Amino acid sequence: MRIFPENASSYGADVDFIFWLITGVITVASIIVIFLILYPILTKNKSRTKEQRYQQGKGFQKLKLIYLGIAILAIADFYFLFEEGPIWRNIEETLPEKEVHVIVMGRQWLWEFTYPGPDGKLYTADDVKTINKLYLPVNKNIHMDLQAYDVIHSVFIPHARFKQDVLPGRNITKWVKMTKTGTYPLTCAEICGIGHANMKAEIVVLLNEDYKKQMAKLYKK
Amino acid sequence: MKITRNKWQNFIKNNLTMNTHKKHGFWHRYFFSLDHKDIGFQYMLTIFVMVSIGGFFAYVFRMHLAYPEMEVPLFGLVTNKDYNMLITNHGLIMMMWLALGMLLAVAGNYLIPIMIGTDDMAFPKLNKLSYWFFLISVILMISSFFMKRGGFGGGWTMYPPLSVGDFGYNTAYTSFKDRFFTANTFVLLAITFEFIALLMGGINFFVTTLNKRAKGMTLTKMPMIVWMINIASVLFMFSVGPLIAGAFMLLLDINAGTGFYDVYRGGDPLLWEHLFWFFGHPEVYVILLPPLGIIAEIISTNSRKPLYGYKFILNLTLIAAILSMMVWAHHQFVSGIDPRAATIFSIFTIIISLPFAGIILAYIATLWNGDLKINLPMKWAIGAITLFTLIGGFTGLYLGASVFDIYAHDTSFVVAHFHYTLFPTVIFGSFAAFYYWFGKFSGRELNKFWGNVHFWLTFIFFNGFAFPLFLLGLAGQHRRIADYRQFEFLMQDPLPLYRQIATISAVILILSQFIFIFNFFWSLKRGKKVTSDNPWESNTLEWQTASPPPHGNFAVYPEVHHGPYEYNHPDREDDFLPQNKK
Repeated sequence: MRIFPENASSYGADVDFIFWLITGVITVASIIVIFLILYPILTKNKSRTKEQRYQQGKGFQKLKLIYLGIAILAIADFYFLFEEGPIWRNIEETLPEKEVHVIVMGRQWLWEFTYPGPDGKLYTADDVKTINKLYLPVNKNIHMDLQAYDVIHSVFIPHARFKQDVLPGRNITKWVKMTKTGTYPLTCAEICGIGHANMKAEIVVLLNEDYKKQMAKLYKK
Repeated sequence: MKITRNKWQNFIKNNLTMNTHKKHGFWHRYFFSLDHKDIGFQYMLTIFVMVSIGGFFAYVFRMHLAYPEMEVPLFGLVTNKDYNMLITNHGLIMMMWLALGMLLAVAGNYLIPIMIGTDDMAFPKLNKLSYWFFLISVILMISSFFMKRGGFGGGWTMYPPLSVGDFGYNTAYTSFKDRFFTANTFVLLAITFEFIALLMGGINFFVTTLNKRAKGMTLTKMPMIVWMINIASVLFMFSVGPLIAGAFMLLLDINAGTGFYDVYRGGDPLLWEHLFWFFGHPEVYVILLPPLGIIAEIISTNSRKPLYGYKFILNLTLIAAILSMMVWAHHQFVSGIDPRAATIFSIFTIIISLPFAGIILAYIATLWNGDLKINLPMKWAIGAITLFTLIGGFTGLYLGASVFDIYAHDTSFVVAHFHYTLFPTVIFGSFAAFYYWFGKFSGRELNKFWGNVHFWLTFIFFNGFAFPLFLLGLAGQHRRIADYRQFEFLMQDPLPLYRQIATISAVILILSQFIFIFNFFWSLKRGKKVTSDNPWESNTLEWQTASPPPHGNFAVYPEVHHGPYEYNHPDREDDFLPQNKK
């Protein structure tokens, strides 16, 4: 049994790594917290003096332990931020060199994909379109212009650990690099009306030469 | 002649207020009473109605998710439209009416005047008016289900353009009547009325707390719950403005044909997301703080020990309240905001875990060395902090770390996370309060055996319901989908089994709340009379008067000499020291 869907993108493993990192730290933290809660309950704290219970003066030292707890959590927190910062910048803030360029447009309730025509450029008259099926080549940097037509949708590719909301009137360019061939689902993760549940598309990741053949087929149509 | 505060208050009480001490009839008590306890009770009954509706919706859509081809008993076949409407209204009702209403309005009304030792709110009529606005909001909300175009199904976050109509700005409305009598309009109006009610309540709590405290009760001698409700009310006031403005613009977009969120006319849907979450994130702390106050009261009393670090907790709460206004965009990491901004919000989100860690550790430190009395309220309180910290709080780290949020955003992982933060605080916290203060408020006792059955069923089946959602979310199950059968990767073993476990647990969880409802109403009429006015041997002022408290709360106005948590004082023989005892 696997927890995540099979990873099929270049940065998917980094996202999973952050999950396992946080899981490791909070497992240790949870064991400590469970001990801290259960110990006084199970032992019932019998035979303490009133001074110990009232804990003013000397007994009040424990507050420093709370600062220690906060400090440990702060260190762990900033370690997470330190680890995830470069990954976030890689996925969201940078665009590697463009090798393939497609438009992904969400509308009620289907996905429309546009590829450059024979001239190799998008946003020209010879662009070709597919509905609910996106062809991508494997191991290429793919730039996706993410758009929506009517309401907010969200492009979610679980196997690539990719998600981006798409808003009407806004063009958001993100990138993905698929590392395995095969067919993967692309779903809508933001509620968009009655057909929200039916808004699913397939991503077909092909070898480079198959991708070129497929494009040629599309041009003929 | 020197007029002491007590004499002055007695003079007001006897001569100037509208409240007379005669017993009122049913009509007067439930509709026109100005007594804060009666108004609290009215709020409580109204919220019971709303929770029943929200719980019923949860039952229907959970059944549909696990058994999509089945006709759900008591409802019938669930269409996609029904499904969207059910989840949306479940969210709205539970967030806006149950959580905010129960923890601000009910807890504030019952507890603040009596715990600070006064007869009533500073403005009893404003208090009454706030309940009337609340009632109007409930009526508007319920009537929104019966509109011609069906209930509102745009998600409880109401992102436009979908919240303008089923097809965004392309929705074909024929006339103003057609636009106005839609669920969208009615839900927005309902929320507006409710917020007016809560603002009136909040200002009342604040003025009452500042002006009507018993003699000798300095600010740091107030019980923690009074502080928490006041901080929550003020935080609510600070954060609600943008949402009201946003909701008004949305109302105009629907009804007057404006385009504040229509990008083709110069608006922007992202604007709503900012306005909504600028309120929406502080709101979760508005909801969280009162239960933390309730838990503080219960843990300190039942540990027979002073609350650990009173001022420390207070300072951390104030820090958290300020920080809570700087984290809203962590709901929007992948919404199309500048990814560089996400880093800043990620840092603040992670930082806000620190004050809450401090508060929870202070509560745990209160347990240590305490003479623990593990009774029913204590079970709920410990259950609440355990689940809230271990699962609700810690899973927040996954989502606060923006990288993993790319994957987990809008999946069941988020659903599981916020159920683990809200359920232990709102539901467990409310039940802790019910089992703790029921004797005071009714003069009778809740049945302990059924109380224990209720606790364990709720505790076990809440986990049975919410935990599988984490696993489903990690497997990539996205939210708000009526039917998962068409997604092959979500139908692989054991995911359908997880969905069924979650559903069966949710149904048992909902059914076990009937135990409480029966226990509550049966005990209200027939329960065993309380033998003591102070059954938990607590220090705070509400326990130093009769059960139930008379009209005006105190026969003689108390004078406060001690802090609220002086248990096991070394110089005293008893292990408790009521605040008004010299």
